[in-house]
Amino acid sequence: MNLPKSSHNQTQGSAGISLVWVIAGGVIIVVGGFLISLLTPAILPRAGSAQSVLIDNLFQVMLFISGAIFILVEGLLLLSVLRYRARKGDRGDGPPIYGNATLELVWTLIPAIIVAVLSIYSFVVWSQIETRPDNAQEVGVVGQRFAWTFNYEATTDDLPPNVDMSRVPEDIAATLNNGEAISFSYPQLHTWVNQPVTVSMETQDVIHSFWIPGMRMKQDVLSGRVTTMSFTPIESGVFRIVCAELCGGGHGEMAGRVTEDGDLAGAWLIVHASEQEYLEQFYYPELEKILYPPEDPVLLGRQEIQNYPCSGCHTLSDLGWTGTTGPILDGVASRTARLDATGFATMSEYLHDSIRQPGAYLVPGFNNLMLQFNPEPDHANYMPDSDLDAIVAYLLTQTGN
Amino acid sequence: MATVTAPLPGIQAHEEKTKLRISDYFKWTVDHKIIGVQYMVTSLFFFIVGGALVMMVRWELLTPTLDLVQNGTQFNQLFTMHGTIMIFLWIIPMFAGFGNYLVPLMLGAKDMAFPWLNAFAFWLIPPAGVLMILGYFAGQAQAGWTSYPPLSTLFSDGDGQTMWAIAIHILGLSSILGGLNFIVTVRNMRPEGMSYFQMPLLIWAILATSIIVVMATPFLAGGLTLLILDRVAGTAFFNPAEGGDVLLWQNVFWFYSHPAVYIMVIPGFGILSEVLSTHSRKSVFGYRAIALSSLVIALVGFTVWAHHMFTSLMPSLRIPFMLTSMIIAVPTGIKIFSWIGTIWGGKIRLTSAMLFALGFLSMFVIGGISGVMLAAVPFDLHVHDTYFVVSHFHFVLYGGSVLAIYAGLYHWYPKITGYMMDERLGKIHFWITYVAFFFTFFPMHLLGMLGMPRRVAVYAPEFQTLNTIVSVSAFVLGISTFIVLFNLVYSLYKKRVAGPNPWRALTLEWATDSPPPAHNFHGDPVFFSNPYGYGTEAAYRYLEEQEKELGPSYPKTMEPSTQAMAHAAPAPAGD
Repeated sequence: MNLPKSSHNQTQGSAGISLVWVIAGGVIIVVGGFLISLLTPAILPRAGSAQSVLIDNLFQVMLFISGAIFILVEGLLLLSVLRYRARKGDRGDGPPIYGNATLELVWTLIPAIIVAVLSIYSFVVWSQIETRPDNAQEVGVVGQRFAWTFNYEATTDDLPPNVDMSRVPEDIAATLNNGEAISFSYPQLHTWVNQPVTVSMETQDVIHSFWIPGMRMKQDVLSGRVTTMSFTPIESGVFRIVCAELCGGGHGEMAGRVTEDGDLAGAWLIVHASEQEYLEQFYYPELEKILYPPEDPVLLGRQEIQNYPCSGCHTLSDLGWTGTTGPILDGVASRTARLDATGFATMSEYLHDSIRQPGAYLVPGFNNLMLQFNPEPDHANYMPDSDLDAIVAYLLTQTGN
Repeated sequence: MATVTAPLPGIQAHEEKTKLRISDYFKWTVDHKIIGVQYMVTSLFFFIVGGALVMMVRWELLTPTLDLVQNGTQFNQLFTMHGTIMIFLWIIPMFAGFGNYLVPLMLGAKDMAFPWLNAFAFWLIPPAGVLMILGYFAGQAQAGWTSYPPLSTLFSDGDGQTMWAIAIHILGLSSILGGLNFIVTVRNMRPEGMSYFQMPLLIWAILATSIIVVMATPFLAGGLTLLILDRVAGTAFFNPAEGGDVLLWQNVFWFYSHPAVYIMVIPGFGILSEVLSTHSRKSVFGYRAIALSSLVIALVGFTVWAHHMFTSLMPSLRIPFMLTSMIIAVPTGIKIFSWIGTIWGGKIRLTSAMLFALGFLSMFVIGGISGVMLAAVPFDLHVHDTYFVVSHFHFVLYGGSVLAIYAGLYHWYPKITGYMMDERLGKIHFWITYVAFFFTFFPMHLLGMLGMPRRVAVYAPEFQTLNTIVSVSAFVLGISTFIVLFNLVYSLYKKRVAGPNPWRALTLEWATDSPPPAHNFHGDPVFFSNPYGYGTEAAYRYLEEQEKELGPSYPKTMEPSTQAMAHAAPAPAGD
C-alpha cells in the first residue's frame, strides 16, 4: 500500500485560526442572534396581558442566545465541511487529535452559565406571573366536551342601578336578600382593561387545558380538582380561548371561532375598554336576563340554552352554532320518526328525556358523548326543571328539514 | 460483474458458503445478526405504516375544516396510532436492531450473552404490532400516545384502547429483556484486554440506553397495568370520583416516557460518533466526555419528567423540574461541540452516511435549542401542548433519531449485506429528505407560537398557509422515504461487492467478512487499542494487516474515492 506515512504532520487548518477570524465570527454570531431576536413580535400573537409582556421579553432573550448558538454551530459545521473536505485523491487521515481539556471545559462551563442565567430569569418571571392579585375579578370556568362555560356571580352590591325588585322572581330575590350570590353563566369571558382576572376551573369530564394565546397563559383543567390561573389584560379587544389538551373528537372545536357572518362563536375573551363599558354592555344586560326572565317560554328557552355548553357539539343555525360532534338541532322538532323508534307519545317528552338521559335513546351506530343534565342542584351539570321546560319549548320551534 | 468480483475470489467463495436464504429471516434463530436484521426489517415495515397514517393526518390538515375524515374521533385515531407506532414499533426496535447486529461484532464476540432471550425479545414484537393494528377493528385507541385518563379510561369505549395498552405492555417487556441482554453482554463479553474506555462509542450509547430501559420501562408496565385494570376490572386508580387521581398516570407515564426520549436518541448519538469519526478520518474529540455524557444524560433524564406537566403540576413543583431540565442541556451541548471538534481538521468524505450524520448535527441542534426554551416555565405556559412542541420533538426524533438511523443504514449496510448501497441514490435521498424535513417541521414552531394547539383536526383559518407548507413538505418527505427503501433492495440486486472494510474503519465489526460468517470471526479478532485512532502509524499498519488477512475492500471508498466510484458505478451488475 502506498499510504502517506505521516499525513498528520501536516496539521493544516486545525491550528490555523487567526484572531481576526474569531472576532469576525463573534460579531456575526452576536449580530445574527440580535436580528433573530428582533423577529419576536412577528412570530407571536399580539401581547394582550401584563404577563405576556414579561414572557415575550424572556422569549426575546432566549431567541437572542439561541440564535447566536444556532449560527455558531451551523457556521462551524459549514466551515468544517468547506474547509476540511477531502480533496480528490487525498488518501490521508486527519491529524491524531484526541481532545483538548481547556476547550472541553469551556464548552461545558459556558452552556452551564447560560442555562443558569436563563433559569434564574425564568424563575423571576414565573414568580411574577404566578402571583394571585388581591383585587381580581373572579370567574368560574367549566370545561366540558366540547365547550367552555363561564360563571359570573352577583350579590346585592353588584346589581344594576334602579333594579325593579318587584319584577324579580321570588327564589332569586330570596337568595339576594339572604346576602348570598346569584350566578349566571355565559359562553364568553368578559373583563376590562387593567383588571386582573382569576379564573377557577373545573371540568365535567376529561382533562382540558385552558389557553388564551393572547395572554400567553395556559392551565390544565383536571378532573377532580380545581385549578386557578391569573392574568391582567392590558389591551381591549377579543382574544381566542383554546382547549390545548386532547379531550376527544371535538377537541379542535373547543375554541373560539368566527362564523361565516363574521360573528364570534365559541369561547372568546372579550376585554372591554373600561369597567363602565363592561357593566353596560355585558354584565348588567346579562344580569337583567335572570332578574327579569321573559314570560314567553320560547324566548326564555332561547336565552337559557345559550348558557349551557350545547354549541360545542351541536349545529343550530338560529343561534349560529356549528358544532359537528352531536346531532344537528336544526329541524329537530320535525324528526317524528324518532318518536316511533323510542316509543314516546310526544316530541316534548322525547326531548325532555334526551336531555336528562342522553345515552338512553341513541340512533343505532352512534356513541353517546353527551353528559346527563341533572335536576338536583348539588349534582354536576345541574339544569333546573324550569330551564329544561323552557329549552324544550324553544327546541320545539325548530321545525323544517 | 466479473470485473468487480475477479480480484475477490476468497470473498465470493465464502459468501456461497454462508449464504442465507430469505426464508431464514422468517425463522426462529439465535444468531444475533439475523435477529438484528429481523428487528430492522420489522421496524421499517412499521415505519411505512406509521408514515402512511401521518400522511392522512397532514392531508386532513390541508384545510381548516374536516374533509378527509368524517369526524374528529377518526382523526384522533390516526395520530394516536402514528405516535405509538413510530415510537414503540419503529425507533426503539430499529435501534435495538442496530444494537443486536453490532454489539457482539464490535466486541469481537460470537453472539449476545443470552442468545435465546435475544430471539424471544424480538419475537414479542410482531404479535404486539399485530395486536395493536387489530385494535383498529375493535374500536381504535383515540386518546393519543400519551393516553391520559379519564379520556383513555372512562371516555374510551372501544376495546382497541385496551389492546393498545396490552400491546405496549408486551413491547415494554421486549425492551426490558433486550436491555438486560445488552448490559450483560457489554459487561462480560468484551475481548481480553479491552477496557470500558476502549469500547466504541456506539457500545457506550447502547449501554446507557439499556440502563434507562431496564430502570424506566417497569414504571410504564406498572402504569399500563393500572390503566388496563381501570378499563376492564372496574378499579378507580385514575378516577377522581372514586378516590383516584388523574395526575398519577401523568407522573408514572412521564417517569418512563421522558427517559424514553433518551432511549430513542442516545443510540443515535452512538451512531453519529462512529460515522463522523470514520468518514472524516479523525478521532472523536473528547472520547471520555462523549461516553460519560451519555451516562449523565441517562441519569439526569430520570429527574426531568414533570416538565411534560408544567401546566398540570402543582405550581410550586414546576421550578425544580425546570432546573433539572435546563441542566440536561449541558451534557447534550458537550456532545454537539465534541462532534464538531471531531470533524474539524479531518479529511471529510461526504458519503451518504456522512451527509446524514451532518444533517443530524445541524437539525438536532434546533431541537436542543427549542428544548431549552420549553424548559423555561413561563414560555412553556404559552407553547405547551401546541405545534411548537410537535416541532420540537420531531426535530429531536426525526432530525435526530431518524437521520441517525439513515446514517447508520448507509454506514453498516455493506457489513450486513456485503454490498455497497448506491451512493448517488443515497445523496438524492439525503437532499430531498433534509430539505423536506426542515420545511415540514420548522413552520410548526410558528404555528404553535401563533396559537395552534396540537392534536386538532380543525383550526383557525389564518393558520392555513403555514399548514399547507407543512403538509406539502410532509408529502415530499414521505415520498423521499421510498428512495432509501428502493435503494436497500436495489443494492442487493446490483451486488456491488463491499469487501470486509469499505470505510477502512478501526472498530471490530469491520475486522471480518461482509457479511460476517455464522460465528462472526475467523479465530479471535485483534482489536485496535483506540477504536478512533485514525491518522497514526499504528492504525495504518493495523488496517494493512487486516487487508492482508481478509482481502481488500472494494470500492475503496475511503481512498481516492470519487474516482474509483465513478468507474465502479456504471458496471453492469448482473441485472
